Amino acid sequence: MNRPIENALSRRNFLGGAVMLGGATILTGCGSPAVEETPDAGTSRPPMEQEPGELSILEWGGYEAGGTKAQAYGLVAGTDYTEQYGGNSISYTYINNDDQALQKATASNTFDLMHPCVEDLPDYVSRGLIQPFDTELLDSFGELNPFLLEAGQIDGKQYMIPWDWGYGSLLYRKDLVDEADATGWELAWNEKYADKISLWGGGSTNFEIAGLLLGFPDIGDPSPDEIEQAKQKLIEQKPLNKFYWDNEYGQMRPAFRSGTIDIAYSWQAAYASFAGKGMDVGYMQPSQGRLSWLCGFLLGSTTENYYHAHEYVESFINRPASEDLVNLYSYGAANTAIDINKIENQALVDSLNLDDPMAISGDDVHLQRWMPNQAAIDTAWQEVLAS
Amino acid sequence: MDAEPGGYRHRLAGGSGLLTGQEATLERSLTKTSGRRWRPGRGFLVLPPLLFVALLIFAPIIYIALFSVGLRSNVPGAEVAFSLVNWESFLFGDNNPFRARFFYSMKVALLVSIVTTIAAYPLAYFLSFVARERRYTLLLLLLAPFFTSYLLRVLAWQIMLNDEGVVTWAARTIGLIPDSGNISWLIYSTFSVSLVLFYTWVPFVTLPIFAVLENMDHRLLEAAQDLGASRWTTFWRITFPLSLPGVIAGFVFVLIPTTGEFITPLFVGGADNQLFGNSIQGFFGTLDWNLGSVLAMALIITVVILMLVFGRFLNTDLRATTGGDKT
Repeated sequence: MNRPIENALSRRNFLGGAVMLGGATILTGCGSPAVEETPDAGTSRPPMEQEPGELSILEWGGYEAGGTKAQAYGLVAGTDYTEQYGGNSISYTYINNDDQALQKATASNTFDLMHPCVEDLPDYVSRGLIQPFDTELLDSFGELNPFLLEAGQIDGKQYMIPWDWGYGSLLYRKDLVDEADATGWELAWNEKYADKISLWGGGSTNFEIAGLLLGFPDIGDPSPDEIEQAKQKLIEQKPLNKFYWDNEYGQMRPAFRSGTIDIAYSWQAAYASFAGKGMDVGYMQPSQGRLSWLCGFLLGSTTENYYHAHEYVESFINRPASEDLVNLYSYGAANTAIDINKIENQALVDSLNLDDPMAISGDDVHLQRWMPNQAAIDTAWQEVLAS
Repeated sequence: MDAEPGGYRHRLAGGSGLLTGQEATLERSLTKTSGRRWRPGRGFLVLPPLLFVALLIFAPIIYIALFSVGLRSNVPGAEVAFSLVNWESFLFGDNNPFRARFFYSMKVALLVSIVTTIAAYPLAYFLSFVARERRYTLLLLLLAPFFTSYLLRVLAWQIMLNDEGVVTWAARTIGLIPDSGNISWLIYSTFSVSLVLFYTWVPFVTLPIFAVLENMDHRLLEAAQDLGASRWTTFWRITFPLSLPGVIAGFVFVLIPTTGEFITPLFVGGADNQLFGNSIQGFFGTLDWNLGSVLAMALIITVVILMLVFGRFLNTDLRATTGGDKT
C-alpha cells in the first residue's frame, strides 16, 4: 500500500530530525545558568508612571495584599497599595517552604518581589536574583527594628526589608498529651504518640530539630557526619509520623482540629488560632529551645516595577498593617512603632514576647539562618522521605 | 474509491497492463495527482506537529539527561562536568532509598493496575451487553466526575477519608468503631493511595474494554451457544479472549501514568507511602536537580520499556480486532 506521507517523512527521517534537534539542545544546554549582575540602588530607571505596574510576587498563602481576590483572611497589609493601583494588578506565585522559594526564584527570576525567610538570603544575592532596596523610598523604614534590619543586610546593603518574625515549635493537645512528655523535641520521637505526630515537610527545619535533639554545637552548620546522624534520627522518627504536612491551612490545621494528629510542628499562628477557639492546646517551650524565623521582602533584580515594588512593601511595613499582622496571625512585626495596646491578645504578647523582636535571638531560641551545606541537607532529607 | 493507488489505472487498462493512447494520457494525468511524486505541501503539514513533538518531548528529555550526567546544573555559576556518580549510586549503591522507593512504587502501580482492570471489566461488560440502548448514557455518568479537576477529586477523597469524614462517621454510626475511634489505615496509608488511584483510573480502563466488546461479532457468541456451549464457556473461550486487546490496553493505561504518580500520595499518602514520583518532585524543589534527573530518567526509561512491551496492544485497532457489526 502506497502511503505518500511516509515518503515525505519516514521514521528514519523523523528520528534523524529529532536527533539533530536533540544535538542542538545538547550543544546549547550544557552548563549552568549565568549569574546576573546585581544592579545597585540608584541606577537610572524609568519614573513610576512609565512602569508596567503589574506586580509578580512570590508569596506564602494567606499573605496576599488586602483588596486582592486571593486574600481570604482579612489581612489589612497591602490595602494602601491595592486601593491606589487595584487588586488585579498583582499576581502571586505560592511557596510552601524556603527551599522551594529559592528554587522557584532561581528557575524563574521574573518576580518583582519575594517574601522568603532570612536563612537563604545569601543564596539570593550570590545568584543575582535580588537587588538592594532604596530605603529612602520606604516611609516606615525608620520605624523598623535595627536588629532585624541588620539581619537583612549583606555588605552593608539592605537586601531584605524585614516584616514578620516568630517561632517554630511543637503544638500539642494538652488534653491528650501528657505534660511530662511535652518538655523537649524528643516528644516527636515518643512512641507513645505514634501515628499522632506530624512534622513539617521543610527539610532544613527538620534537620535543625534533629540537631537540637542530638546536641550539635551549631545546628546551622552541621558537619557531614552530623548530617548523617541527623538523617538517621529523622528516619527513626518517620514511622511515628502520620504525614509530613506541606500546607498549614489545607493539611495540618484540619488534621489537628479533627484529632487525626495530636502533635504537630507549627508556627505560633496555629497555636493562637486553636487557643482562641477554646481548644486545650500547648505551644511547647522545648528544653533545647524553640526555633525562630525572620521573613521579609526581597526586590527582584530584573524588576521593571522598581517604584511600585517599594510602594507595595511600604503598604505592608507601615504601622497599621503591622498591628493587624500581630492581631490576625499573632506573629511579631518588624515595625517597632506599633501601639502594643492595640494588640487584642495581651496574654499572647507576653507569652511570646511579641513586643520584643530581640526575643528571636535569645538564649533559649535558635534563629534559623543560612546553612552553608544546604545541598547536602536537601539530598539527605530526600533520602529520609524515600527511606 | 480505490484503497490501493494504481488499482483504478490497472482496471482502465483492462487488467492487461497495456494502455491505449487516451489511457496513457489519463495515466499521466492521474500520476500528477496520485501522490507518488514528492509534493512539499504535505511535508509542511506535518512540520508543526513534528516540531511540537520534538521540542516539547524530546528536547526536555535530553535536557533532563544532561542534568543526570552532571553536564547541567540549576545552581547559577556552578561548575559542571560529566559524571555518572548519581547513576552509580542509584543503580548499585548499598540500600539506596530511591531504588527501594522505585520498587515500592512499581508494586503499588502494578497492584492498582491489576485491581482496576479486574473491576473495570464487569463494568464494560455490563455497559456493552446489559445496558443496551442506555449504555452511552451510563458511560457518560461514569465519566461525569472526570469533568472536574483531578486535584479537586483527590482533595474530596481526603475530606471523605479523614477522621471526621463520612466513612469514619458511617463506621461510628453503625457501631463498627467506638464513637471517638477512627480507622487508622483509612487515610495516609498505602490503602488510601491505592483507593484513590483505583477510583481515578477505573473509567479509563473501562473505555477500551467497552470499545472491544461493543465491536465484537456477536454471531460468534450465538454460534457458540448453538454448538452447546454454556454461557460461562462462551465467555471464557470467546468473549474474554477476543476482548484481551482492550484489557491489556486498559491495563497499560493505568500502569504507565501510575508509575510516575505524585499528586495522590502527596494528599492522601502518609510519611511512609510516598511514591517514586514524590522523590522526583522533591528533588526538583531543592538545589539538587542532578540526582532528581537521574530518578526522572530512570522513570522515563521504565515507561519506554513498558511502552515497547505493551506497544503492539496499544497499536491495535480496538474496533477492528473482533470484526463485524453487532447484530
